[in-house]
Amino acid sequence: MPERMDTQALILRIATIMIEELKLEDVTPETFDPDMDLVDELGVDSMDLATVALVLQDEYGVFIDEDDYPTLKTLRLIAEYLQKKLHS
Amino acid sequence: MSEAKTCGARVRRRDDHRDPKAGGATDRERRAAADVLSAPVAVAPRRWKFSELLAPPEVRERWEKVRKYFFLRESTYDMTNRCNLRCDGCYYYEGEKQFARENDDPEAWRDLMRREKARGITYVVLAGAEPSLVPERLAVCFAEAPLGCIATNGVRRIDPAVGYRIHISVWGNDATSLRVRKAKGLLGRQIDNYAGDPRAVFVYTFTRENVGECAGVMDTLAAAGCRATFNVFSAPVGYTGPLRHDAASLARTRDVMSGMMDRHPGHVLFSPYNAVAHTEVQGLHDLYRCAYPRRNPSTALGLGRSFRQFRADLTWDRDVACCVPDTDCDDCRHYAAGSAVVTARLYRHATDPGTFRAWLDYVDTYLAVWVMGYEKGETLCQEMIAPPDPLPARKP
Repeated sequence: MPERMDTQALILRIATIMIEELKLEDVTPETFDPDMDLVDELGVDSMDLATVALVLQDEYGVFIDEDDYPTLKTLRLIAEYLQKKLHS
Repeated sequence: MSEAKTCGARVRRRDDHRDPKAGGATDRERRAAADVLSAPVAVAPRRWKFSELLAPPEVRERWEKVRKYFFLRESTYDMTNRCNLRCDGCYYYEGEKQFARENDDPEAWRDLMRREKARGITYVVLAGAEPSLVPERLAVCFAEAPLGCIATNGVRRIDPAVGYRIHISVWGNDATSLRVRKAKGLLGRQIDNYAGDPRAVFVYTFTRENVGECAGVMDTLAAAGCRATFNVFSAPVGYTGPLRHDAASLARTRDVMSGMMDRHPGHVLFSPYNAVAHTEVQGLHDLYRCAYPRRNPSTALGLGRSFRQFRADLTWDRDVACCVPDTDCDDCRHYAAGSAVVTARLYRHATDPGTFRAWLDYVDTYLAVWVMGYEKGETLCQEMIAPPDPLPARKP
């Protein structure tokens, strides 16, 4: 992974993981709105987020606290969360 | 492998997972060796990647099988205030909910089911006090919400057109049922009503007093071709009676559960990890941190966001909302609670192959018990794996 990953690239990667893991249809990483509310608008729930968190943990080697799931409401917020973890 | 005794059964310790890449040594063995060879050498437990946990084909297959049901979002509904039995230790006749004025308008129930569907509920649990007494309401609910379960005492047969899972409560042999539930020949009546019914799962509730009766009851159920799962009596708030478990009765319960899984593998829907999770001295909340609204202030996600427990008057109260209201949370080992609370802790179980397999067994079991048409697979983890370390207190 690059030293400091570009936020946009990170959002695209998270979108790809989310599409693959949650088997989302009618959306591509490029068309996935990074500010869409994943819970209210996409219907993502705790088990979905746990799955995505485990895959992100594999890929980026960061620990994602279960209590932080509720704050990970959009792709952009997840990307910012990961960046903070990666550079803390 | 070293083993610890918990509740009388062999449980592998969390720090004892054998790493196949380290020549079969356990973390503890490696630590002990390091202690001998040099002074302060700390060997951190291996961190398994999720992709590594999913690598064995049978694990990947089971994961793909169970994850298809992650869309299930449950709520529960008291269908009526009435019951044709009066059982000691009954959850329904505790607290305020028993005094709710019953709504007997089928269209009000239809409207409720539609509103529930609209807010994302995909699975309904129809319980208290005795749903079989209100067949028209069951038909209305099934017409609007096709996935669900009815908890019944099994005295009256529910119309086969209502295609929900049906859980029939068994609290011991007939002598015990007569004493605790004031019902004569209950098991025979339940079997007459539900033998051969693909909807039926008998639920044997272990109390402190009836542990030794399970084998006989299970033999009878198995001979009749009936399937069963296990529940552990969880005392209602304030209950101090003889059904409440202690450490010794929990240990005996675990042993009997294990024996029944061996004796009736085709008729018992359970797994070794189910036995562990429901017979630890600590209750489910202490072990897994209950996610139901009653113990979970967060409304952001999961059960805290979507779960409601409706009373027979179609109202609900967040402060008491859980799958078995008026249970003493410290004593809760209820099978319905565990189905949601243990399942929700995917992240805590994705730590090593044994723990993850045990969790998959638990989820596979819960789905077989609750979802029509779902068949339980082979047990992936025969060992009794200890639960993950308890979660810290919730962040404010």
